[in-house]
Amino acid sequence: RSYSQSVTITGKHLALYDIFNSISKQTGYEFVYDEKMLNGTGTIDINLKGASIAAVLDNCLKNKPLSYTITDKIIVIRPRAARKEAAVTAEQPAAQVEGTVVDGAGQPLPNVAIQVKGTTRGVLTDAKGHFSIQVESTDVLVFNYVGYDKKEVPVGTQTSLQIVLQESNKQLNTVVVTALGLKRSEKSITYATQQVSGVELTKAKDPNLMNTLNGKVAGLNISSSSSGVGGSAKVILRGAKSGLGSNQALYVIDGVPMNNSLTSQPNSSYGGSSSYDGGDPISNLNPDDIESVSVLKGASAAALYGSQGANGVVLVTTKSGKAGRTIVNFSSSLTLNTVAYKPEFQNSYGQSTATSTQSWGSKLAGGAQDNLGSFFQTGNNLTNSISLSGGTDKMQTYFSYANTSAKGIEPKNKLSRNNISFKETGHFLNDKLTAEADVNYITQTIDNTPLSGFYFNPLTGLYLFPRGKDLAPYKNGFEVFDPARRLMTQNWAFNEDIQQNPWWIVNRNQNSLDRNRLLLNASLKYEVNKWLNIQGRGSIDRINDVYDQKVYAGTVTTLSPANGVYIYSNTTTSQQYGDVLANFNIPIGDKIRITGVLGGSIRDVITKGDKYNSGQEGLNIPNIFVLQNFKAINPLNTGTLQENHSQVQSVFGSANISYKDWAYLDLTARNDWASNLAFTPSGSYFYPSVGLNVILSSVAKLPEFISFAKVRGSFAQVGNSPLAYQSNPAVYTFSAGGGFSINPSAPFTDLKPEKTNSLEFGTEWRFFDNRLSADVTYYKTNTKNQTLQIRAPQGSFYDNFFINAGNIQNQGVEAVVRYDVLRDGKLKWNTGLNFATNQNRIKELAPNAPEFTLSGASGSNYVSKFKVGGSFGDIYGTVLQRDAQGRVMIDANGNPIKQGGDFVYLGNSNTRWQLGWNNNLEYKDFTLSFLIDGKFGGKVMSITQSVMDQYGVSKATGDARDAGGVAVNGVDPNGNAVSMVDAQKWYSSVGGREAASGEYIYSATTVRLREVALGYTIPVKGTSFIRAMKLSLTGRNLLYFSKKAPFDPELTMSTANGLSGVDIFMPPATRNYGLTLNATF
Amino acid sequence: CTKNFELYNSDNTGINPDDLKGDFNDVGVFLTRAQRSIINFSDGGDPNSYQLQQNLNADCYSGYFMSPNPFNGGQNNLSYSLISGWNGEPFKVGYLNIMSSVNRLRTNGVNTSYPAVWGIAQVLQVAGMSRITDIYGPIPYSQVGTSKSAIPYDSQEDVYKRFFLELDSANINLRNQINHVTDSLPFDFAKFDLVYDGDFTRWLQFSNSLRLRLAMHIVKAAPALAKEQAEKAMDPANGGTITSNTGNMKVKVAGSGFSNPLVFIALNWADIRIGASIQSYMTGYADPRISKYFDMSTDTTFPSRYQGIRIGSVGGNAAKGDYTGYSNLDVTGSNPSFTLTTPTQIMTAAEVYFLRAEAALRGWANAGGSVQTLYEQGINTSMEQWNVNAGTYVSDNTHKPAGFTDPKNSAANAPAPSEITVKWDDGALEAVKMERIITQKWIAMFPEGQEAWTEFRRTGYPKLFPVVNNFSGGVINSATQIRRIPFPQNEYNTNNPEVQKAITLLNGPDNGATRVWWDVQ
Repeated sequence: RSYSQSVTITGKHLALYDIFNSISKQTGYEFVYDEKMLNGTGTIDINLKGASIAAVLDNCLKNKPLSYTITDKIIVIRPRAARKEAAVTAEQPAAQVEGTVVDGAGQPLPNVAIQVKGTTRGVLTDAKGHFSIQVESTDVLVFNYVGYDKKEVPVGTQTSLQIVLQESNKQLNTVVVTALGLKRSEKSITYATQQVSGVELTKAKDPNLMNTLNGKVAGLNISSSSSGVGGSAKVILRGAKSGLGSNQALYVIDGVPMNNSLTSQPNSSYGGSSSYDGGDPISNLNPDDIESVSVLKGASAAALYGSQGANGVVLVTTKSGKAGRTIVNFSSSLTLNTVAYKPEFQNSYGQSTATSTQSWGSKLAGGAQDNLGSFFQTGNNLTNSISLSGGTDKMQTYFSYANTSAKGIEPKNKLSRNNISFKETGHFLNDKLTAEADVNYITQTIDNTPLSGFYFNPLTGLYLFPRGKDLAPYKNGFEVFDPARRLMTQNWAFNEDIQQNPWWIVNRNQNSLDRNRLLLNASLKYEVNKWLNIQGRGSIDRINDVYDQKVYAGTVTTLSPANGVYIYSNTTTSQQYGDVLANFNIPIGDKIRITGVLGGSIRDVITKGDKYNSGQEGLNIPNIFVLQNFKAINPLNTGTLQENHSQVQSVFGSANISYKDWAYLDLTARNDWASNLAFTPSGSYFYPSVGLNVILSSVAKLPEFISFAKVRGSFAQVGNSPLAYQSNPAVYTFSAGGGFSINPSAPFTDLKPEKTNSLEFGTEWRFFDNRLSADVTYYKTNTKNQTLQIRAPQGSFYDNFFINAGNIQNQGVEAVVRYDVLRDGKLKWNTGLNFATNQNRIKELAPNAPEFTLSGASGSNYVSKFKVGGSFGDIYGTVLQRDAQGRVMIDANGNPIKQGGDFVYLGNSNTRWQLGWNNNLEYKDFTLSFLIDGKFGGKVMSITQSVMDQYGVSKATGDARDAGGVAVNGVDPNGNAVSMVDAQKWYSSVGGREAASGEYIYSATTVRLREVALGYTIPVKGTSFIRAMKLSLTGRNLLYFSKKAPFDPELTMSTANGLSGVDIFMPPATRNYGLTLNATF
Repeated sequence: CTKNFELYNSDNTGINPDDLKGDFNDVGVFLTRAQRSIINFSDGGDPNSYQLQQNLNADCYSGYFMSPNPFNGGQNNLSYSLISGWNGEPFKVGYLNIMSSVNRLRTNGVNTSYPAVWGIAQVLQVAGMSRITDIYGPIPYSQVGTSKSAIPYDSQEDVYKRFFLELDSANINLRNQINHVTDSLPFDFAKFDLVYDGDFTRWLQFSNSLRLRLAMHIVKAAPALAKEQAEKAMDPANGGTITSNTGNMKVKVAGSGFSNPLVFIALNWADIRIGASIQSYMTGYADPRISKYFDMSTDTTFPSRYQGIRIGSVGGNAAKGDYTGYSNLDVTGSNPSFTLTTPTQIMTAAEVYFLRAEAALRGWANAGGSVQTLYEQGINTSMEQWNVNAGTYVSDNTHKPAGFTDPKNSAANAPAPSEITVKWDDGALEAVKMERIITQKWIAMFPEGQEAWTEFRRTGYPKLFPVVNNFSGGVINSATQIRRIPFPQNEYNTNNPEVQKAITLLNGPDNGATRVWWDVQ
């Protein structure tokens, strides 16, 4: 390849740094290097006019220990490897050593510089990471590769070496992927980002890859769904902002925003059949296909993605084939999952009466057994993946296949997934035109997703089962023959809506979700000239979900008519995305350069499908689960689904103006036209952003120990359109029997788009030769003009109407500190801390709507409310009635009295601050990493506990009975003090579904050993068929150092906005142990 | 290019007003919806709405029912710990289902195009909204639909006066149709009529019967107006009242997806069982209707019998399963009285006879018979309605209401609530005569708890067992029992200035002890 751009540089005593900057300005090429390499390289006198980049670089690096390579307009400067044919010297080396250099994931690294320490002798690894060199036993080999930690290996008697280079902690002046997939050098970025390598995602695998990011990124709050294998994750960056809209981060795959619409999430205490969780679209990806993830935390980073970017962006870059490297990688991992904790039971008191559902009876003679062990099983997750990558200068290919097969901790909960991915990149017309396309096909089946809440949940029956009774007969005989019906029906001793035989539920209330997903991307990029290229991209993401639930005859009558229920839905969500970008890079004089992009995009998302539910009318013939068997079609639960068709068309532009490579000004602007704004006065909305950063270390003379210093600040505004149909709700909707209902939502004709204003300031510092680094950010976002659905006085004939109002504020601080504790010895250790705190405040709502309810009022004394002065995730409930002295009021019968009236504020479920401590140790062929993280503050509620208390099965109720009652500071109706209340009376009133929920509020503070991974690189002979092998043992969620609630507060029943911080019979969190084998051929 | 945006942003599953013009759906749909909402069919969904609209309040306050479910640990509306989340449902149904449907008919021009249909709509509105004002007292009425954020309330007196005016207008429109003064309808009205199959005469009789009922409600608060309206209602010149069971106001459960909400709650949810009071009276009288009303108990811990549950007794240590085996509605057996498709009953001929008996007792004109005759006709019409042989029931001078025992909870046991017998006695004290009429009317009106609760509050009869546990914190007196339901929390949240004014109209605090306007001590 020839680079004929002409460069003119003249001057004396120029630092290399200045020369690089000058080249960069003149040509638009970017330099990537470790700044400390330039230390002591001296100055250069140069006088070149109209020379090529190569000529200039050759000239300046001639006598320096540095070399360069140029790829894709990026010039990488690295330490020079000595010539392969080193001069024959007197000390002829004694032996030949050969070996392979691989990265942490076992991928071979080509072009690694290997130098004999103290000499100029050295070699480079070949495309397969292989090398051989003549050395003496006393020599020390130095392995050096940009972006990786340097490694020194004494030769000794070894003849074959397997070298693993660990990726350095991105402290170098590296390239980061930013909005629209544009690559930029990290130091020019004016907002907070944090990058995580693909290795972090595959270290300890989870069926949902987002869960593996937990604790690794400051400000990223991940709550995993309690819905078993393959469930969704709630991913919130810098706090929730929107009352009705989505608060989830936006995922962007190779520059294209992904449709991450949620699967159906529960919104009431009942949980139940209408909601299933098949995993969010991001969770379907094969983690082995991912090269890196970079998290753009604030709205500024995302201004260019438009509306969805307001919640932050998770950018995923997938792997591509690489020229000259043919690699086959095989990875196999097995993870075992066990229940991390169980509810605490009492073992002393039996059933109240022979038919009672409750355990308030007399003392048990022999104690009670553990009924839970017979139900929960060891879950597992077996993932096998293979990838092939390779290519020539002109064509590169990447192919991968992965199979995931997982089993949950509840019987019959299974997942099986196949991912096929094929990516091809080609270069045409003298490499001016680059074409890339990839195809991903995913099939996934999830059986028997555990449903949390009161209904269809095996855990209610399991936990509430009377103590001292044997559950085994109900396991083996979960169904019995009913001679009156001549069919098998449920065998369960109790008739209550909230409980059934657990094995009946898993066997006879089955659900299944089949997903087929096709994701196609294509892009064409043409280099018009040295300062301009034009790119067009298109993407189709089509997700088809077929869900069905079969509820057999014999199911409790509240949930099913006599002959059973069949629920079937078939939904297809299609997203089509297209954009055209013009990327420019224009130097203006010596000092200023403008890079940027102008473009337009269109994104269209539509959901189509239909659902069928035999509902309360049920089936004609028992247990035949086909649509023909429906007794009636009831439009309330059967019909064509709303399409929710939304289209957004946008034009946008961004400019990054740099001055002398130490000051950067970022400007962006975007205008969106959204179909969801049809029928309103404002069909489009505009939003700008501005950011500035200054590299202090380049401007001012700083003390020697400061290697790098940067300050940055940015302001961004992001607009957001409302949900589909809010401006134009249907006037009437279908109801049963040919009836119609009048839509209780008033049309919203003066609707305005939502705006989030986001301000952030940050600074980055590196000290002691980059050994210590710190990055601190303060941010504040205010989301205004929110579309809020507020209740109406019903005399208006509407139940609710929409308004634009509110001001939801999030402010907080994020900090990342890293330190290489041991860097140069055999034992290496680097450690990092991630800290984040966020304060969410609802500053304003509408004047006539000081509050509204997000979820949960029905069926339990829990409600998640949105109220002025409060914050997202506020929990409201019922408390005990107390007199003026704070004494609990006890009625004449000795029962505590609950306070009537409206629910009162009990706490907020949001984490106040979180801290993650990540450590990586390396010794010879071993690596060890562990992550401890803590989430501090916040309150959660356990309705599981309150119901168990009411039923007298919990340990608390046993202890109280042993103690002769519950010690209280109470008062009876006559004003006499009461110090002890009968345990049964207390818990029967205080506990239960509609508990005095104020008594069931717990601190959400949790500190855990999140992840441990021990890796061993198995030495392989350099000539072996296998080039690299690595074995790792991993553990996730191994230990709670502190957990105050009776459940893991990180689990959530719903990944939507509601039901946060409440546990209603969620399956317990799991402790996971894994073994991974990675082999490269 | 945004030319398709309006198309994209239109709900493909919705219906627009123009879509309903064909086949006169823009008339019929709203008329059937109003009919199905007085006792709410939830547009064909689960009867959660009816459960809070009437079942967990009036149906139990009337002595007919009690829930075996210890909602909120037994501290709920049935033990006078009023749950704010429960109190708004009757209100909501009144405006969003009944009045908004009638309002759509007006918007669609029905009041001018088809006055007789409009007349029926007005009757339905009065029938529905009278229940709402009887629950809360002052309600928004004259100015509904005028704003999205502030809807003023009317005093109950004004609301009642407006009811009578609306019934006047309805009467004229119905009689004009019956007498062919107005054109016959261009469509088959019967298919939209879930009550009387398009028979305007029977609608007219229901309208008059409803006027009589409402007139009697206000007899203590406005005696002259009550007499005037009652006499107008009973005047044969105005079309007469319901006289036979064929004229009973019952809404059919028609169309797949609909079910009788009361039966659904009893059968599918086991959330309602027979109350102690009705069981006590009917077992005491050996009432032949009892097997048509109730099933025997199925609890294996005591012998099978008619066993009710006393209001406010389920809670504390009780579980729902402890009480679901008590007597249910008659839903089992080969020919149960109550199935999921049994029409919902709003007014019967028997009730009208008892109203006329009371009118006669008060010496009002047009009652059409002596007190005794009308009283006995009331009983016999009810027996006929339930297809039972009355035998010697009307002349029974010995059977009296029975005491109550709860086999599982002796705290609920109570002596007989009353000594009243069945046989009419012209020589009895006025109060005894009133008790006799209202007690028998109460038995005959089963299972329609809303009107039964109203009449209990107005007259003090029948004598009902008080709540076993009273968790009102001293607000509601167990002996005088609950008098109303507080205004919905949603009104406080969304219509606060107006609800504050309504409280001044109420003449007392907004709680369950304050009496509504017609409820004069």
